[in-house]
Amino acid sequence: MRRLWLALLVSLVLVPMAGYGAGQSLTAMHPRPRAPGFALKDMNGKVHHLSDYRGQVVLVNFWATWCPPCRREMPSMERAWKKLKKQDVTILAVNVGEDVDTIFPFTGNYPVTFPILLDQSSKVVKRWPVLGLPTTFVVDPRGRIAYRAVGGRKWDAPALLKTIRSLIPPDKKPAAPTRTGAGR
Amino acid sequence: MGHLSIKVHLFRVLGLLALSPLLAAPAPAAPHSRHYIDQRTGVDAWRWSGEGISLQLIQRLPDQTRAFFLARGFPRPAVERLASHCVFQTIFHNTAGSGGGVVHLDLANWRIDHGQSLILKKQWQQQWRRMDVPRPARIAFQWSLFPTVQQFAPGDWNMGMTTYPVAPGATVDVHFSWRRHGKLHHGVIQGARCAPDVDMEDKTQ
Repeated sequence: MRRLWLALLVSLVLVPMAGYGAGQSLTAMHPRPRAPGFALKDMNGKVHHLSDYRGQVVLVNFWATWCPPCRREMPSMERAWKKLKKQDVTILAVNVGEDVDTIFPFTGNYPVTFPILLDQSSKVVKRWPVLGLPTTFVVDPRGRIAYRAVGGRKWDAPALLKTIRSLIPPDKKPAAPTRTGAGR
Repeated sequence: MGHLSIKVHLFRVLGLLALSPLLAAPAPAAPHSRHYIDQRTGVDAWRWSGEGISLQLIQRLPDQTRAFFLARGFPRPAVERLASHCVFQTIFHNTAGSGGGVVHLDLANWRIDHGQSLILKKQWQQQWRRMDVPRPARIAFQWSLFPTVQQFAPGDWNMGMTTYPVAPGATVDVHFSWRRHGKLHHGVIQGARCAPDVDMEDKTQ
């Protein structure tokens, strides 16, 4: 009987808490539409094709320097990138409508090491289902949009990292630690 | 008899377990609106929250509007036209949990006093084309205004400017609406004061 009361007490505390992690969530796309392809230059002039990253999970983030929530989420995106880049996850931050001279000083205040791509004419963003900035898409290894986030997120939140990692193909996930017996 | 008593207890406890989320979850707060001062900027702001959404209207000074758009290539006459209207930085958030449903927003249905509509992105863009505003400036404008129509999944939010057919310094009641599960919901922020413009006469004294 005491166990039942304990279970009741635990459920009273834990069940409502389950909803509190919902602040950092991604919207799953059903069905997953094909991600529109692009070829965009980065800050150094190198061209990145989205198709170059087929087989990997890709976060495609649309942003601008003047957009406060875009700025706010950048440091967490950099932290997420540091945790994910060795696991075949790529982040491409597509700047909408600005030039290198505008973006360069921004990167002094918000240092990021993932590629920043330039969509100065906003031709690319128009082909994606974007209405406001920032909007981020998680593209699965087959080149389909698996998740969408409208508005800023804390990208290194464990719930988001878990969702992103769930798309990594099993053969590319880091091997689980195995027990190696001393006698083997 | 002893077994029966245990079973009755068991059913009661299981019943309570099933109800516990309802008992312990915080009751949905009644919709409410409040005025506050933005801590970082010191400007006036209003927040309405309830029914799984929140809406914030934050004053935007005409000089902020001028600086922002001049820096993005807007010609002075176009900037002055914009700065002569009430502008609020607007933040909309679908705060419902994962089962809360998608919110559909259409600014064309929002009204201020006397049933006036907001000035929407499309109307401005028509003016900018007539005024030969350069394309890069129009792109910046396109993304900095709040989208006229947008859907928000739970957890989604957006921020952008909304513009009103009244002068800076005016006070307005903003009647807004949204749809969730096909049902239309309404809310109102009363007495939102548009940021006043700088009085040039005061400045020169």
